[in-house]
Amino acid sequence: MTKSDTKHPVKAVSKKELHSREELQKQLEFQKEAVVHINSLYNYALHLTMNPDDAEDLVQETYLKAYRFFNSFERGTNCKAWLFKILKNNYINSFRKNSKEPGKVDYDLIKDFYHSIKDTRTDTTEAEADYFHTLMHEEVYMALQSLPEEFREVIQLCDIEGFTYEEIANMVESPIGTVRSRLYRGRKLLRAQLENYAKKFGFNTETE
Amino acid sequence: MSVAIDGELTLKEEQMFLLHLSECEVCRIEYEDAKKTKMIIREKIVRFKAPPSLVSTIMQLSNIDTKETEDTLL
Ligand SMILES: [Zn+2]
Repeated sequence: MTKSDTKHPVKAVSKKELHSREELQKQLEFQKEAVVHINSLYNYALHLTMNPDDAEDLVQETYLKAYRFFNSFERGTNCKAWLFKILKNNYINSFRKNSKEPGKVDYDLIKDFYHSIKDTRTDTTEAEADYFHTLMHEEVYMALQSLPEEFREVIQLCDIEGFTYEEIANMVESPIGTVRSRLYRGRKLLRAQLENYAKKFGFNTETE
Repeated sequence: MSVAIDGELTLKEEQMFLLHLSECEVCRIEYEDAKKTKMIIREKIVRFKAPPSLVSTIMQLSNIDTKETEDTLL
């Protein structure tokens, strides 16, 4: 896909329609319902593409498509879930197909990327003083990235983005039971990974 | 187990689950571990802000077609 594809989006809209009240209404509603989720979408895109430029392109394409099909968005349902699904489909259709080395994760790149953008969130609640709090962002991220995609994905959608099982099932096009068992197994794998990291640093991981 | 942690149990199921936890140490430990893992993900995964340039592009997006038409009409 080229940049120009995303720069000139909505050609099919008739001119008569453009200045109409409905169009203005649509724009306002779109900004209120959809654009507010831009940070979440950007993070999801980053997780998928592992590349800031690609993530931007992906988010932009997603919003273009979402705007074009905004009329088909079912009012009252979760708009964020709807956007995530569009983003995921876009990713599958264009990005993953074009990637030179699918599935290969460049850990150095991730680390660099993490260091290059400073964490804006410093208000981590240090409620429990246990070894998990000594884990670094990068380590948790790497542990997450080390999981097979089907596990990683549901954990991201559930734990990071806070979607319900039903919404996730719809997004990944699998039954709820599958989502549930992937979450369970994924978390088990993840925990084992995190304990490995913790052990490496000499922390006692025994639960009392 | 995941269902309980993610708050996807019905009220009745939750009561039964809690009752079971009070009697079963194995499940209790697993529950605590799983809860902790979820908490770690929530707290430790860095959330990035979308770049301002991207945000303004998207904000303008819904106006792009209007502008373009204005240009051609002028
Ligand atoms: Zn039990």
